[in-house]
Amino acid sequence: MKRKGLRFYLRIYRKILAQDIKSKMSYRADFIISTIGMIFTNIAGFVSFWILFRSFPSINGWSYHEMLFLYGFSLVSLTPVQCLFDNNWSLRQYVYTGDFIKYCFRPINLFFYFQSEVFDIKGLGQLAFGIATIAYSWSKIGLGFSALMLLKLIVFLLTASLIMIAMQNAAAATCFWIQNSFYVLDLAFGMKDYAKYPITIFSTVFKFIFTFVVPIAFIAYYPSLVILRPDEIPLLSWLSPLVGIVFFYLSYRFWMYGAMKYSGTGS
Amino acid sequence: MKLKKYLTLTRAGIIEALQFRLSAFIMVVGNILYLIIVYFLWKAIYASSGSDVVNGMTFHDTLIYLVLATALFNFMEMYTVWQMGRSIQSGKIVLDLIKPMNCRSYLFWSYSGNFVVNFFFTFLPTFIIVSAVTDGAVPLGINLLYFVCSVVMAIVINYSIDFFVGTICVYTESIWGINIMKQVVVRLLSGAMIPIAFFPEALRSVIYYLPFQWIYNAPLTLLLDGSPGTDKVLEVLGTQLIWCVVMTVLSKLFWRFSLRQITVNGG
Repeated sequence: MKRKGLRFYLRIYRKILAQDIKSKMSYRADFIISTIGMIFTNIAGFVSFWILFRSFPSINGWSYHEMLFLYGFSLVSLTPVQCLFDNNWSLRQYVYTGDFIKYCFRPINLFFYFQSEVFDIKGLGQLAFGIATIAYSWSKIGLGFSALMLLKLIVFLLTASLIMIAMQNAAAATCFWIQNSFYVLDLAFGMKDYAKYPITIFSTVFKFIFTFVVPIAFIAYYPSLVILRPDEIPLLSWLSPLVGIVFFYLSYRFWMYGAMKYSGTGS
Repeated sequence: MKLKKYLTLTRAGIIEALQFRLSAFIMVVGNILYLIIVYFLWKAIYASSGSDVVNGMTFHDTLIYLVLATALFNFMEMYTVWQMGRSIQSGKIVLDLIKPMNCRSYLFWSYSGNFVVNFFFTFLPTFIIVSAVTDGAVPLGINLLYFVCSVVMAIVINYSIDFFVGTICVYTESIWGINIMKQVVVRLLSGAMIPIAFFPEALRSVIYYLPFQWIYNAPLTLLLDGSPGTDKVLEVLGTQLIWCVVMTVLSKLFWRFSLRQITVNGG
């Protein structure tokens, strides 16, 4: 079989996307309320952040605005998982009911086809919120601005977003083996709330765990050091794009491994 | 005789809840992880504040409060909105309406088995561990009685809010959005995530007049205060009672009014 190129996939992605948005738009009330719900979540997240840190000039050597930068960074790097990989939440239902088999019969990449089917528009509110937070804290810290920095920021944001995507893929794929995989997915998704804290607050053991086992430190902390502390960038920060790609690839293999084992429900 | 039918539902709920051991285990893992993060976060906050007492609470007070708040949250959270929304959307609500029992009581009592299970498997162990480890930081005396009364009323308030918000699903066809809004508002303003004492003065006085803080903050205040004055106890329990009545009546009226609006497709 001829391998299909990137252009082919981009074209087909646009088409699938358009269908999904059309179907979402037919439930307009739901769309509006969900968007408001998402804005609520972001505001509540920000308010709790503000309540916690407003009265302290610095936490563990991190100024208020630097913490805010981390927070904004985590919001933006968590947007792709929200927008592009939301169908992972439905995977267990497709597998359970047997509808998953429909994805197996298409002459395109199974993983791609499954994930492309849903685009969650309400995640874009989070993106806007995150960008505004980054911009605000950036100007408050007085980091200066150059095209190179912007490029670095974008590259590190993109690769950081792969971490959460990888965790969600892996957690969703557990449904090929266990029944109640919602809780696994929920547990993995809950990790996103912890990504906004600097890893230096943890003890050595947990620093290790959150760096290498459950790599949430790569969602915001390590990549944002490249911008925040340009004088003393640790090696792990430079490696974070690589870590993102590796984890994403591993989760993809795991997901596909589960999908290949899938044998349908027999009906 | 009248109580018997309710207790049968409780029993069924207990049996059902005990079936899901894996999910319970994963939830415990998630909670432990959450508490680890909370521990390190607040440790960093207290370390940088430079004093032992912040907003009238020591590090230990805060930690005990947050651990118990988490346990209480897991014990009381009912996911009613989610459940109601789904059965309204799928039309299953019709089956609940024709039961020889008020729909509101049916939903409550069919969940009540989970209260029993959650109480013995999450709240009680947490409580015992906390009081053993902290060695007397949790006073054991008359306050336990106040605490139990307060929790019972908190459950009623929480359920009434849930039921009220769940009724909105009759009009909106949106479950996720409604649910997430309720969840973030209750979690933040009830003191389940951050002790109310840390809120800024203005916000605190607003929260005082809202029903949310009477769900988690009120029982915990009574529990952790060794010798509360009679007027304090009366004030807390009295206000809770008022909210119980107000929210019960409101949610019942709203439900009765909305019942006429329910449309169910097909059959």
